[in-house]
Amino acid sequence: MSSVKDLFNFPFSHIYVEEKVMDHELTRKILSRYAKSSVIPITHYKDVFNRPNQSFLLQKAVPSLILARNTGASVFQGAPVCQDFGYDHFYYTSCARNCIFDCEYCYLRGMYGSGNVVIFVNLEDILSEVEELLKEHPVYLCVSFDTDLIALENLTGFVARWAEFTRSHEDLTIEIRTKSFRKDIYEKIAPCDRVIFAYTLSPQEIIEKYEKRTASLAERLGAAACAMEKGFPVRLCFDPLIYVQNGKDLYTSMFEEVQRNIDVHRLKDVSVGSFRISSEYIKKIRKDFPTSSICQFPYENRDGYMQYPRELQKEMENTLLTLLQSFISKDKIYMTDTEEKT
Amino acid sequence: MFFIVCALSAEAKPLISALSLRRDTHACPYDTFFAEDSSCVLVISGMGTVAAASATTYLLTRFGFNKEQDFFLNFGSCAGAAPGLHPIHKIHDDVTGRDFYPDMLYDLSSCGLPLSSEKALVTVSHVVSSLADPELLYEMEASAVFQAAARFVPPHRMLFLKYVSDSGTDDPKKITSALLTAWAEKHVSTILRVIQYLKDQKEEDGAIDEDLFLGTALALRLSETMRHELHQFFVYAKAEGIDMEPILSDLEKEGKIPSGSKREGKEVLDVIRQRLI
Repeated sequence: MSSVKDLFNFPFSHIYVEEKVMDHELTRKILSRYAKSSVIPITHYKDVFNRPNQSFLLQKAVPSLILARNTGASVFQGAPVCQDFGYDHFYYTSCARNCIFDCEYCYLRGMYGSGNVVIFVNLEDILSEVEELLKEHPVYLCVSFDTDLIALENLTGFVARWAEFTRSHEDLTIEIRTKSFRKDIYEKIAPCDRVIFAYTLSPQEIIEKYEKRTASLAERLGAAACAMEKGFPVRLCFDPLIYVQNGKDLYTSMFEEVQRNIDVHRLKDVSVGSFRISSEYIKKIRKDFPTSSICQFPYENRDGYMQYPRELQKEMENTLLTLLQSFISKDKIYMTDTEEKT
Repeated sequence: MFFIVCALSAEAKPLISALSLRRDTHACPYDTFFAEDSSCVLVISGMGTVAAASATTYLLTRFGFNKEQDFFLNFGSCAGAAPGLHPIHKIHDDVTGRDFYPDMLYDLSSCGLPLSSEKALVTVSHVVSSLADPELLYEMEASAVFQAAARFVPPHRMLFLKYVSDSGTDDPKKITSALLTAWAEKHVSTILRVIQYLKDQKEEDGAIDEDLFLGTALALRLSETMRHELHQFFVYAKAEGIDMEPILSDLEKEGKIPSGSKREGKEVLDVIRQRLI
């Protein structure tokens, strides 16, 4: 049998473009980078993105790109299983759907029927919506939510635009979460204490096993150190904690590496949360990824969320907390506790 | 297996011959051909959307499309400006205004079908006399074939390959069966390469040892819910590379399998979970 990879087209070999954004400046910029791709005009992105019976697995291997206009509301209140870091008005927004990384445990696999990447080119409309919200109250906004914006920055320039927008809106704080290695971005944008760069960290063995195409632990730490150096607030996210047989050793050595590479006293904060996922999403994921051990783990369903058995979860989180408290004060550690919140 | 739908015998003839397909002599609602090694089935639908949808459904239900292993191909002629064989990445239904998109995951350039040969196609209700848009292809079945097939076939296992026979005509009789066959003949070797290229693409199914699972579920007197739980243990063990057999045989030696009651079975289930994690 020939290798599946040999048979595939190249990533973004097909770019579906909504007719109404064909002339958008960002559309033209993106298309100019993909001269060899086949460009297919479409009426609405859902005609492609929401088709039934798509293979998330294969599309992840060779994603198509969809350029669309986000119509309707684009800013949403955060879900209870997401960490709000003590902010009263916690929101998230999606200027893109899916990302170029391929994390085996990603909730997007359960949320979307497609592994293709959607970019909403009309960021200006989302910014206007945020401005309206800011008239009511301060806003804490996660902008890299259903995607990894830094990984898409070359294409979109959205991180730079969000950073600039936040600098000019005092009541806005944004979080940009990533697993990317890119440092160059910190040369291109001016530092702002309300633009938080959040690095999701996992032991290298877990990255290799479950977080395909993402940056290595060393690369992520290098990028995080660079962000701190340039004056940006940096958050480390040990979320999701993933169970593996020798997890305690792996997480211990990961913390040693964190301390070697990062001035931990300068961290804004850290978050900790074990893997959890909506029971609805896991049903789909298990069907689509029958050979994935992380998807097929016998989780417990507690309050509609599939989680590690209580004892195991407690043990994992306590181990992490003990390790964390040895180098960061307790008030900077945010735990995600689904049971308290739901 | 490859499931193939062609509108006309004249279009299918070279393919039937090249694939050594035999006519199904049973009473069939449509002319049906099959390969003796079960690698391929082909149906002649007749012209138009109703015939195409109906024949597609017949083919896919009669022979049972396997979503993890099989491929579906719609092959036929069309009107267009660019001669040659074209993979179709978009199908527009002229009557309903709806669009359909087969997934274009596979690189067919080594079969002679580079990205640049792809086209969008319009399904119309009549033979076109001229090309409204010379960039597009025009024919009379694909949108219906897609809609009927989509009930059974994932979009990445569908392939629409159309060859240009004309650039529109006022007199359809000018496009004779002999001409359609002659043009189809030119593309048969490409189709054979595509079939050869894709035929072994099987997706992982995560199948477990059903006998061992069922035997254990029975021996533990499990309820339906507990059976699901045990099944999940088996699937997880397979994904993680853990052999269930030694775990279960240890439990047998310890006298825990078989269990005397459903309640005991539940306790053993917890032990299995502990040993797995």
